[in-house]
Amino acid sequence: MGNFTNEPIDLSQLPRYETLSFSSLHPSYWKVMVINIAMFFVLLTTGAALGIIFDAEIRENTFFLIIALIVLLVLVIIFARLSFCKRGYVFRNHDVIYRTGIIATNTVIIPYNRVQHVALHEGFVARFFGLAKVEIFTAGGKGSDIQIPGIEKDKAEDIKQLLMGKIQKQL
Amino acid sequence: MTTDFTSPQKQAPIGILMMFLATLKDLFKVFWVVFIVAVLKSDNTNSLYLLTGFVLLIGITGLISYLKYVNFTFYIDEEKNEFIIHTGVINKTKTVIQLNKIQQVNVNQDFIQQFIRVYSLDIETAGSESKEVEIKAISHELALALKEKLIHGKVVPKTEGALAEQYQSATEEPFIKISFWSLFKIGITSNYMKSLGLIFAFFFTLYENISHVLGDDELENGPLGTFIAKGLAFNAVMMFVAFLMLGVLLFNLVRTVIRYFGFKITKQNGTLVLNFGLINIKNSIVRPERVQIVSVSRNYFQKKLNIFQLNIRQAMNGEKDQRKTAMEIPGCDENEKNQILMLLFNELPTQGLMVTPNFRKLVFSAFLSVFLPVLGYFLIGKYQDSRVYDFYGIAVFYCVLTAVLLWFGFRNYRLFINEKYIVKQSGAWDIENKIIEIHKIQAVSTSQLFWHKNLNIGSLTLHTAAGNLSFYLGNYTTINDYVNRWLYLIETSDSNWM
Repeated sequence: MGNFTNEPIDLSQLPRYETLSFSSLHPSYWKVMVINIAMFFVLLTTGAALGIIFDAEIRENTFFLIIALIVLLVLVIIFARLSFCKRGYVFRNHDVIYRTGIIATNTVIIPYNRVQHVALHEGFVARFFGLAKVEIFTAGGKGSDIQIPGIEKDKAEDIKQLLMGKIQKQL
Repeated sequence: MTTDFTSPQKQAPIGILMMFLATLKDLFKVFWVVFIVAVLKSDNTNSLYLLTGFVLLIGITGLISYLKYVNFTFYIDEEKNEFIIHTGVINKTKTVIQLNKIQQVNVNQDFIQQFIRVYSLDIETAGSESKEVEIKAISHELALALKEKLIHGKVVPKTEGALAEQYQSATEEPFIKISFWSLFKIGITSNYMKSLGLIFAFFFTLYENISHVLGDDELENGPLGTFIAKGLAFNAVMMFVAFLMLGVLLFNLVRTVIRYFGFKITKQNGTLVLNFGLINIKNSIVRPERVQIVSVSRNYFQKKLNIFQLNIRQAMNGEKDQRKTAMEIPGCDENEKNQILMLLFNELPTQGLMVTPNFRKLVFSAFLSVFLPVLGYFLIGKYQDSRVYDFYGIAVFYCVLTAVLLWFGFRNYRLFINEKYIVKQSGAWDIENKIIEIHKIQAVSTSQLFWHKNLNIGSLTLHTAAGNLSFYLGNYTTINDYVNRWLYLIETSDSNWM
């Protein structure tokens, strides 16, 4: 180990990422998700309706088709709600943390001094609610980027400025 | 001979010939079946057309090569520190590469290039939007001077002699030379699966091409078809397996020797220069500060023969480039391995604290690769075709083999954590140790299934610029402790990761 010294630090004294309280996404983002799901189901129902009108075989099973669509819709809504509740983010002094996942809880942590660039993305629906998505990229490949949706536009802009400032300082 | 790169330069004129041959080679690769069929099926009446066609094709290829040559220029803009390349006959392209973004410059020589004594120079860069650039025909001196200039951005020695001398001195004292004997040892002990895959791929393409030319019927009723039908007999299967194993060994040996013949590693201004190849001579550079993941692997045979295989991964652009940026160092002994590690890390990484996976990892992989296939086997036997039960021997063999492999894989699955390094050990037969330095971590992710919460187990993925390192189902408290510690180390240090 040669001249390598390491100041004694107590592991238990270090700030712990796993016990932080995460900020949840903006409540309006739930509406955005619902609208997106609704648009998807409008397409799906249209398809099913066309099938019922033009195909005799499908017409015979109209009842099952409708039941299937309703079950699917309920499931998608439940999972979307769970997913919405489970997502959370924290901007700490030195890193950003994003948590997602229903079955598995995934947490991605990016230290600011490893951020390559930051982008703001405003989705079509989200724009009506004044929401934006903050995208944070690193040089680490697959799965190492963070995309936090459902942040108020002004706040997202502030976050972007903050991160850009941190990146600039390092250069 | 000029080493002034500030004014636009063309490639070596002989490059026209090279591009001509290369284009012909590519054409032939794609259309060889068509050519052969055309030649075979032609009679006297249309052979004239055929000849005219060939001549036209060659003429057009020649013209295109010439136009490509004329329109390809490159130069260094010293004020802006950029390397600029103009290409394109009809669509003009200007590629600008900032000198400080250049990751790696390779000077290579393939078979055609060796024949007409030119080299190709390709440039790899970091950054999401940049493309890889290749200069296809350039003289050796110019290639080395340009490489020097691109990498170090400093004035190259003006005289050709000095340059040649510098290169000479570099080539004369390689600090590691891998002998033919070591290559032989590696050739017969590694990459069994890869060679098997390549052989199958080769025969499959051959089969497909033949069946295209001859038509399917001929093939199925011909001698080959009968052979395949009879081949189901047990003896024939055994013979086939024996031949296959022998084939794999030979193929492996030949491939390793051709690819890595005369492997030399030279130290040059703190970088490692690798030279190797029998037919295609490759020359590439490893810069220690760009190295992200180093993996050292060996299997049981290689342990007995005291050889290691090293794989060095440098920072890369996208997933698809991963193979290209990985440098393979085949067959070095303990001492040489340590020397390389010393050069890359300035010390020998020790293993440190050991984290073991939970037994559920073994259960899960057994479920995936033993239980599910066996279930499938019985389902097919019950509902589709009970004849599959005749092959129960193969099924039992598969289960036993997989179980043994899984067990060893589980036993070898370890994460070692040290002050500066993280080492992940894995593999059942080829045991691989992946080493990363903590300050090269770009991002950390952890993951836990909800039913693992009370069991306190979870997974960890460390993202580096050359790929990920994952460890599944370890003690979650330990993992989180170390994640916090690594974050602290990364966030408090300014050390450059690249």
